Amino acid sequence: MTLVRIDNRLIHGQIIETWLPYTGAKNVVVANDELAHDILQQEIMSLAIPQAVKSSFVTVEEVPAIMSRLFSAPGDHDSIILFSSCADARRAFDSGFDFHVLNIGNVHYSPGKRQVSPSVALSDEDETCLRHLNRKGVELDFRCVPNDPVQVRF
Amino acid sequence: MVAKTDKKDGVIGVVLVTHGTFGETLLQAAETVMGPQENCLAVGVDVNKGVDETLEGVRKAIHSVEQGKGVLALTDLFGGSPTTMSLSLMKSENLEVITGVNLPMVVAALQARSMKLPELAEKVMNAGQQGIKVAGAMLRKKAKK
Repeated sequence: MTLVRIDNRLIHGQIIETWLPYTGAKNVVVANDELAHDILQQEIMSLAIPQAVKSSFVTVEEVPAIMSRLFSAPGDHDSIILFSSCADARRAFDSGFDFHVLNIGNVHYSPGKRQVSPSVALSDEDETCLRHLNRKGVELDFRCVPNDPVQVRF
Repeated sequence: MVAKTDKKDGVIGVVLVTHGTFGETLLQAAETVMGPQENCLAVGVDVNKGVDETLEGVRKAIHSVEQGKGVLALTDLFGGSPTTMSLSLMKSENLEVITGVNLPMVVAALQARSMKLPELAEKVMNAGQQGIKVAGAMLRKKAKK
């Protein structure tokens, strides 16, 4: 299965140990403007990815083109697509990356944000982005790890 | 959508038997990565307490996670008392004991608890060994390519 996720930490233990086995994904696409230009950070993040899984780092703007290329190429299409913020996920959606479920995993707390679950705290801007996506038919899935019970009402 | 919790019948029980609060903290760390887990417990061995009392605590922990599939005891130091105490229970319990516990081992144990006990033990041992890397050297090697 394919998972589209918001996670401040992008690739980390929860992705490697739970979401990769759970989804069976063979591709991890990290969509982040800063990381797309930071080779060292990319290499650090991909060190623990199993050899059978392909990782790529792209800018948010490149996501629609990259994903349609990936989905039309031969081979296994199951992917995990990671954004670090709600705004980036919205930007990719609005520019043509079509997804139906958005997993909200880790959005760190900072002053002025509303804590909606142990791992998710939303600013007004985050809420605006999520409501926008929700109105466009995107289901919001608040789970940090696959076996989390869904307890957020948004 | 409601996510399924670990309520399947007959998973292997996991017990961390360590010096002090090491096991408890390790289990918390594993749950941060894996989410909340059932049928696993940490027992700390307090060297100031009597052996019988402590051993009873370990036995109780094993019984409370046992679901008919056996129990994996992860201990810290080969030769230490948490290990020897766990080993002394092998005769009466369906138990496997693995020493040298680290976070990759706990994560691996919690990932594959529907396996058979000997296979799970093998997998956990491998995960523990493979989790140790001179990661800085790996990165330097990669950068050279």
